[in-house]
Formats: sequence, structure tokens, C-alpha cells
Amino acid sequence: MNNALLELRSISKAFQGVVALREVSFDLRPGELHALLGENGAGKSTLIKIITGAHAPDSGEIWVDGQWVKGLDPRKAHRLGVAAIYQQPALFPDLSVAENFALALEPPSPFRRVRWALRREQASQLLRRVGARIDPDTFVSELSMPEQQLVEIAKALGAGARVLIMDEPTASLTREEVGTLLGLIRVLKAEGVGIIYISHRLPEIFEVADRITVLRDGASVGTFAAGDLDESELIRRMVGRALTSEYPPALSEPGEIRLEARGLGCARWGVPEVSFQVRSGEIVGLSGLVGAGRTELARVLFGITPADSGQILVEGREVRIQSPRDAVDAGICYLPEDRRRHGVVLEMSLASNISLAVHRKLFPRGWIRDGAERELACKLIGDLAVKCSNGEALAGDLSGGNQQKVAMARWLAAGPRVLLLDEPTQGVDVGAKGEIHRLIRSLTNQGMAVLMISSDLPELLGLSDRILVMRGGCLVSEFGRGEATSDGVMAAALGKGGVEL
Amino acid sequence: MHDRSGWRRWLGIELVLTLLLCMELGIFSRTATNFWTAQNFFEVLRLSVEIGLLAVAMTPVILTGGIDLSVGSLLGLCAICFGKLWRDAGLPPLVAGIATIGLGVGLGSLNGVLVTRLRLPPLIVTLGSFSLFRGFAEAITKGVDNFTNFPASFLFLGQGYLFGVIPAQLPVFMLVALAVWLLVHRTVIGRGLRAMGYSPEGALYAGLPVSSRLMWVYGLAGGVSALSALVYVAHVGQAKADAGTGYELLAITAVVLGGTSIFGGKGSVHGTLLGLAVLVVMKNGLILSDQPGELVGIVTGVLLLTVLSGELLMKFLSRKSEVRRRERLLKTR
Repeated sequence: MNNALLELRSISKAFQGVVALREVSFDLRPGELHALLGENGAGKSTLIKIITGAHAPDSGEIWVDGQWVKGLDPRKAHRLGVAAIYQQPALFPDLSVAENFALALEPPSPFRRVRWALRREQASQLLRRVGARIDPDTFVSELSMPEQQLVEIAKALGAGARVLIMDEPTASLTREEVGTLLGLIRVLKAEGVGIIYISHRLPEIFEVADRITVLRDGASVGTFAAGDLDESELIRRMVGRALTSEYPPALSEPGEIRLEARGLGCARWGVPEVSFQVRSGEIVGLSGLVGAGRTELARVLFGITPADSGQILVEGREVRIQSPRDAVDAGICYLPEDRRRHGVVLEMSLASNISLAVHRKLFPRGWIRDGAERELACKLIGDLAVKCSNGEALAGDLSGGNQQKVAMARWLAAGPRVLLLDEPTQGVDVGAKGEIHRLIRSLTNQGMAVLMISSDLPELLGLSDRILVMRGGCLVSEFGRGEATSDGVMAAALGKGGVEL
Repeated sequence: MHDRSGWRRWLGIELVLTLLLCMELGIFSRTATNFWTAQNFFEVLRLSVEIGLLAVAMTPVILTGGIDLSVGSLLGLCAICFGKLWRDAGLPPLVAGIATIGLGVGLGSLNGVLVTRLRLPPLIVTLGSFSLFRGFAEAITKGVDNFTNFPASFLFLGQGYLFGVIPAQLPVFMLVALAVWLLVHRTVIGRGLRAMGYSPEGALYAGLPVSSRLMWVYGLAGGVSALSALVYVAHVGQAKADAGTGYELLAITAVVLGGTSIFGGKGSVHGTLLGLAVLVVMKNGLILSDQPGELVGIVTGVLLLTVLSGELLMKFLSRKSEVRRRERLLKTR
């Protein structure tokens, strides 16, 4: 394997005595897209951090271009042409695109003048190379998420990256945007760039990957040519078992109307006027492109940005929602999209996280009672099968899927009448995803009303009893269970004639 | 709160501070004259009550990720207002004192309003009220007036002794410290403050009443500052516009030394009390050892830096022992 761009040989790494990687070997050839798959906690991030030099392996060798590289650190990795692009772009939002490039690409030397004309020229050249029509003088904060991603890629290419690591690059993109990105990836491959690609979205991996390496519990299950595997085979290798029926069915017909919005609007946040109903025992899917106003609608319903017109009715009674506390009191709970910032408090224990929204119910006199809190946490941790040592573990130490379960547990403790779920399985591994789907369905089977925002079309189509589509802040279509197809929903989200964003 | 079991729980800032305190006591009992006497012990306590009250009330503020720079100035303003109410309005000291505390709560809540309604950073808001309150105090006294000759019944609060040895302000301080400890460590309010400090948006999305809780802590800080002003006036026997100058920084030093994170979330009231003890014993010991006053500032700075790096060392040791424990477990399996 002399032509390998990058080769890892028997890499092992342990953190505080816990093995994260065990004798993992991996190689990347020029012009290849090598997908790295595994459940959360399988060791993907650790492997990436070793390649970028953020962590030193305990044992094993790293070879770049047939040379054994000893003591790889981030600067050395950068010099060797390794660049990583993460889910959240790491750009300076208050600087222009050209300035961001200048910071990353100017050789660091004090008191040297930045040649702006040259930088701007180089920036527009790089942006053209990745097919982005962006003015280099635009501030990064004004760019959309996919545009920022393109800027990141251009920046990496400008720095001479030959090994490009992409960690969940499509997590916050719509289907059209994903298509554009995959197109760019093909171009980069043709130019000889090696790409390490991490994603939970299997269809897209089959579309672009040449080879796939599967990690499980810190060890490599094997490296396969993408053509040799199909989706179910791949899932089986990732989770070590076959997953049963993907989407659990509804057991009963929807009941009475739980949540009703009448002409609900919040002009300042781009929700002009929305009316809809959610019934008991029903999962209503909310589809739309990023920026169509889905999250904004949920934030209005939950009182983060209170409505300035219209009515919200819970079980037929009008409720006034000016703050999240009002919403919780009215029985509306919201599982936010940004789990780490909004969903859980990372530095607090699971028990504290779970009890946070039910303080008044659990501790009516205002005094914390550790026993009651522990009991509640134990029960919910058991019910939701959260993988953790005990309720005293910190939320930040859990994997994404388990954090999401803790965020759910908090709201189950509150006993809501209506659950708003915003991308409930984003960044969650395949195993936990199925568990969360089953949990949502079993809640509605017990009579819960669920409004679920999701950009994951298979999930939306598989789980929802009814699908509402938003565009430009308005509800534009509704599909019953039988009527919804991915093409139909996408066409509605894009508008007639498939106008692009 | 944290996943630390057994003795490892005690490896932390509290242990560092306790060791430091013992060291100070050991050194000063040799170098300082009259250091190791009951009389000096209570004198140290008496001197630390004003700063101590401010530090204790500052702790919940810093736990929310905020800060209150105005407490020293508010102490000055409240001292003046108390004097004015008693001397010029002719109110009895008790009524004037209660009114002063009400004023403190009100002005503290003003900080809270500005922080929650206008969403200004607490550092900026309280930097403003820091100047504003002191300015008012100076305007009221025109910079020259001061209030003296308070009745002995009031001065007892700052100068008297209970049972002949215990300074009269000590029970007041202990009551306030206990109340704030219970608030921070045992009530849902304290838990909410911590959550806000760790993650302001996370707390909001959990349905906590973030704004009203912030009003609460700034109001509390204001009220306790006013109480501290009363103790101060009774202690020194006069109220001047410059009362409590620089106290806010001493209070913040005690809080931070006590292991409360300036970014919010992590920290404790007993940590603050230990931090305070280390500071005041050092000051008293240095003075009784005939050391120059300038040394106090230098040693305070060195202490702050060593204690905070000492905490890191403790964390490191605790982690090492955790690793060894896991390795032993692996072997026995």
C-alpha cells in the first residue's frame, strides 16, 4: 500500500483507563472517499482527533505519503495537508470571507502587511473552485449554513489540503443542498483529494463512498468496498445485530384535539399566520426547508418568542404563552434542535437535568429532596434505557443519543399534553434512533399529541400520521398517511415548479 | 453534584483552602504577637463581617454567571441614607435601618431590571451603578457631611459583645450565611441559579423563570449590602460617603478564592467562607507580625493564583487515582 495518502497502523488510545480505540488500522488513497461509520461512541471522533493531531495515540503508527510521522500535532498535520470540516463551521462570523481566508492562509509573522487585493483575488478564486457564488467581502454571519460550509472547504483547499475530513457535513442541509455538496465532493475526488467522510445518513454514503470502514466499540469491524454491502448489512455491522422493523405503527385512531393554533403569528420572527390542529395519539410531521419557519413556529408555541397575534388552544381552552414556563404550565413541552445548548445542561448531573423542569411538582416546598430526585431519575433512566453509570453522571459525558434521551426524560417527567420535537434524532446513531422512534410512538399510543419537525425525510414519512409542509413561514400543504411521498413533500417544500432557495 | 465518590469528593478547593488556613495559623502563631488569643480570634471575625456579608451575597450572583460591582458603592450610599433618615428625618435607628434595607433591595433590583429587561451584561450594568451609587452618596453629603453620635443601642450592633466575648454582628453574619447557604445548596432556586450559570439558554428552555430569578439575586445582593452598611456604620461609629470603597473587589476575591467559577455554575457558599477566612487571617497575621501593609496586596495576589492552580493539581491527582481504581477493577474481573 505504498500509494496511500494516509495510513494508520494499529492505533490504540485509552482515556483515563477507558479504551477508545483498539488496534485500529485505516488508510486513505488519493482521490478516494473513505466513509467512517459507527454508532455514537464507537471511536470515530477519537480516530479523527488522532489524524488531525489533537490527540496522540498510545500505540500505533501514522504514515503520510509513505513516511512515518512521529509526534503528530495539529500544526504538523496542517502542514502535511490534513484539514477537518465539522458540523458547525469554525469561521469568525464577524469577519468577511476574505478576512477569514487571510487569517487561515497568511503565514504567521508579526508586523507583516496583509495584501488585501491578493487575498480577495485568491478568495474569489477558491470560492469559484468550490462552485460558490459568494462575494469575498460578505460577512460570514450573513451566509447560510451551506454557504459557510463551502467557505470552509475552500479555506481547506487554499491551505493545500490533500486529506479532507468531513464530520457530518450534511446534518443541517436540505436535500438540494446535499446534492450540491455531493457534486463538489466528486470534483474534489477527481482532483486527487482524499476524503474521510462521517455521516449517519446511509443513502448518501452509498452515493459517494468508495470504501467504508465500520467501527464498533473502538475496534474496526472491517473495511469494505462500498459496492459489496447493502444498507441493512451495513447497519448490522454497525450495531452488531439486525434492527427490527424500522417504524413502529400507530395502534389506535387519533382522539380529541389536543393542540390548536388559530392564526398564530409572530411577525418579528417570520411567522405570519399559521393555523393547525394536533390530536391526541397522533404524530404530526412538520416538513420544510431549513429557514421555512418550522423552528420559529415551535419557538412561538413554546413561548421563547411569544406570539403577537392569534390564539393557542390546549384541549379546547385558550392559553396565554409568554414564556417557556407558561408553555410548560399549559402542558406544551419542546425538545429543542440544539441539544447541547438548549436540550440539556452539559455540566449538570442526569438527575439534576431530569428534574430541572419539574421543580415545583417534585419539590412543592422549594427544598431539594435528593431521594425523590434520585427515584425519578432512576425510573426514567430505566424506562428510556439511557446508557450511563448512574444518575450522578454528568450529561456532557454521554453520547448524543443518550443526551437526547435525557432531554426527553425531562419532559416526560413534566407530564405534557403536547410534545413538540425539533429534529429529535439529528446526530443520533442508528441504534438510538430506532429507540427514540419507538419511544415517540409508544407515547402517542398512550394518548400523547406530538408535533415533530424533521429534515430526515424517511423518518418523517415513516413515523408521521399526517405531514404539514411549511414554506416561507406559512403552512402550504397537508398530507395524510397514505398520500405522502418523498417527492410530493419535497415539491411542496420547494414550491410549485421546484424553485430553489 | 459531581460524579466523585468517597474521599475523592474532598479533593478540591475546600481541601486546598483548609490546608492553607492551617498553614497560616501555624506560621502566624509563631511570628505574630497576640495572634493565638481568643480576643484576636473574635476581632478577626468582627473585621470580616462587612466584607463577609458582601461576599456571601455575591456568591449566588456569580453562580448565575453574573457579577455585581456595585455592592461597595451601595454600602456607602446606604450608610449615608441611614444617617440621613436617622439624624435629619428623626426616625429611630430600627425604623431607619429597615428602610435602608428596603432601599438596598430596591437599588439591587434596579441592577436586576437592567440586566434582565435591557439584556445588558451584568459587568456593564453594575459598573454603571458602581459610579452612580457612590455619586449619589457624595451628592447627598456634598462630599463633607458625615453622620456621628449614633445612640449606644445602635452602636452595640458593631461594637458590642454578647456574653462578654462574642461580637454582636457575628450572629447576624452567621444567620445570613446560613440562609444563603440553604438558598444556594438546598432549594430549587439555588439549583436554577446554577443551571443559569452553566447554560443561560438551557435554563430558559427548561422553563425556568430566568428573569425573575435574576431579579431575586441582584435584589438579595442589594439588601445584604444595606445590612452590611448598617453593621459598618455601627462598627466605625460614623457614616461617610466613602464607606466601603473597594469592598466589592475584596468580596469578589473571597468568592473566587473559594472556588466559585467566574463563568457561573460551579461554586459554593462554604467555599466563599473559607476563601474569606484565608484572606482575613492573612491580613491580620501579617499586621500582627509587624509586616508592612503593602505586603497584604502582594500576598493576596499570590494566594489567589496558587490556590487556583492548586485546585488544578488536586483535579489531576483525583483523576489519576480514578484511573488506578478502574485499572484495579479491570484486573480483578
